[in-house]
Amino acid sequence: MSGMDLSVKIGKLELPYPTLMASGCYGSGEEFEAFADLSKIGAVVLKSVTREPRLGNPMPRLVPTPAGLLNAIGLQNPGIDWYLEHEVAKFAQRPCAVIGSVAAFSVDDYAYVTQRLAARDEIAAIELNISCPNVGSEGETFACDPALTGKVVRAVRAVTGKTLIVKLSPNVTDIAAIAAEAESAGADALAVINTLRGMSIDVHAWKPRLGNLTGGLSGPAIRPVAVLAVYEAARAVSIPIVGQGGIETASDALEFFLAGASAIAIGTANFTDPRIPEKIVNELGAYLEARGLRSLRDIVGKANVGFGTPFQYEGDVG
Amino acid sequence: MLPRPSVSDVVVLDRTELARGVILLGFHAPELVDVTRPGQFVMAIPPGGERAATALAIYEAQGERASLLFFVCGARTRELAELRPGDKLSLTGPLGNGFDLGAAANVAVVAGGVGIASVLLPAQQLTQRGSRVRLFYGARNVEFLVDRDRFANAGCELCCATDDGTLGHHGFITELLAQAEDKPDLILACGPSPMLRATAFVAAELGVRAQLALEETFACGVGGCWGCVVPLDRKSSQAPKFPKSAGDFVNARVCKEGPVFWAHELRW
Repeated sequence: MSGMDLSVKIGKLELPYPTLMASGCYGSGEEFEAFADLSKIGAVVLKSVTREPRLGNPMPRLVPTPAGLLNAIGLQNPGIDWYLEHEVAKFAQRPCAVIGSVAAFSVDDYAYVTQRLAARDEIAAIELNISCPNVGSEGETFACDPALTGKVVRAVRAVTGKTLIVKLSPNVTDIAAIAAEAESAGADALAVINTLRGMSIDVHAWKPRLGNLTGGLSGPAIRPVAVLAVYEAARAVSIPIVGQGGIETASDALEFFLAGASAIAIGTANFTDPRIPEKIVNELGAYLEARGLRSLRDIVGKANVGFGTPFQYEGDVG
Repeated sequence: MLPRPSVSDVVVLDRTELARGVILLGFHAPELVDVTRPGQFVMAIPPGGERAATALAIYEAQGERASLLFFVCGARTRELAELRPGDKLSLTGPLGNGFDLGAAANVAVVAGGVGIASVLLPAQQLTQRGSRVRLFYGARNVEFLVDRDRFANAGCELCCATDDGTLGHHGFITELLAQAEDKPDLILACGPSPMLRATAFVAAELGVRAQLALEETFACGVGGCWGCVVPLDRKSSQAPKFPKSAGDFVNARVCKEGPVFWAHELRW
């Protein structure tokens, strides 16, 4: 694997590995330090922080589902004031880049929290979580409407020069339109995708299993949905895409690169085995080496090549 | 200071079905034996790693062998139950805080069903140092009061209850606890949530402090996802640091701040 270039550039952010640990799945990295070599991952995306403290959703917050996990944590966090005062300083100790994640319920609050968080040296870049499905409908509204997406990204762009990654929702009709809007509003990169909305019902108790009633689905169950979303977004924009959704192996990761992602994020798979991110990096290197390729950049979006309009029989309509 | 956990691949040494669906799985794991505190758990990753890990209490830890005792109740535990001697599995642990045994001299240990899995290590440690240990052990019937001899051999006094009266008191184990003579100076408990709530109630009535080992669905098991919380008095030393303005309780992670909590600090 030596000599393999797995480095990636996302906006101004240069990372030695293309693997990000997805927001909300990896704490601040500290929680996994005993099991995973953080110097072998690209970056940790922190759990989202909001303007005010949030206690989060009532329990239960997790339901295992076939090949997936339904969650509704509800953005539990201590709020930006406390976060800056008590938590951000320790992120400087991480042997990898640390990306802050911002969530909010208004354009003003997105800009306010981003400005304060991005001002800290410990924070290498900002991910804008405009797609959390678990805080009523408000949180996700932003990523479900191109005009609102544009408005919030422009407001945040105005307050920071740091790399801005906008995390999109799969719960939309046309992700390409939203991706294009985010790019033209000033996003440096896109994270595709957040969780899919879902529900699970206890047939003995006759009630939803989650305390929040609905949740967000992650894990291998959503992988094909995520690959398609990356493919469609990649054709609509020229900024880098961080592909995510059910990645467990190097082969899964390669689907995302070939669909057009420049980097990937790993979330739920860390719950199966915290050694997975390092294994993926090693196997990606071996994949490139076996094919005589020098860099991951050589395969990004290559599944697009040769694809025109899908073949149609004469006489078929649409 | 808690021991540093790790991920290790271990080899199954023995497998015994103690009752229908109750599996005792022993494996070679000296690295776990050395550092485990009573009441800690592991995330068990079945071979192949295609399923999420499942949290299980560490039952025995002696010499170079540790074991897990669990009830088959879903796809993940079914997969673990299929393991045979020689098979491999991965364990992340030991995790969680474990019991604080302090200087207690007269301890009541309350276990419901497979909750017995969390309390062998503390019971052994207590009897070894000369503390009196009474095990209040309840299950649906005598078949599921598994492994009683091991506790008796460790020097515990056994008080049993069954739902159907096939052994001991015909009723709830917490009813026996409430009637116990010679009031204990500490209560440790693990079992179904209604039993833990009843234990907390009885402990408060008796004026005895109780530590409860909670069970919850985990995703990560290491404090990364905040999916397994329980409301805890913000003044508790275990409570995650959180702004005062948010109120008088904080959602603490069962996997990280727990799984053992003081009953009087829980706000359930």
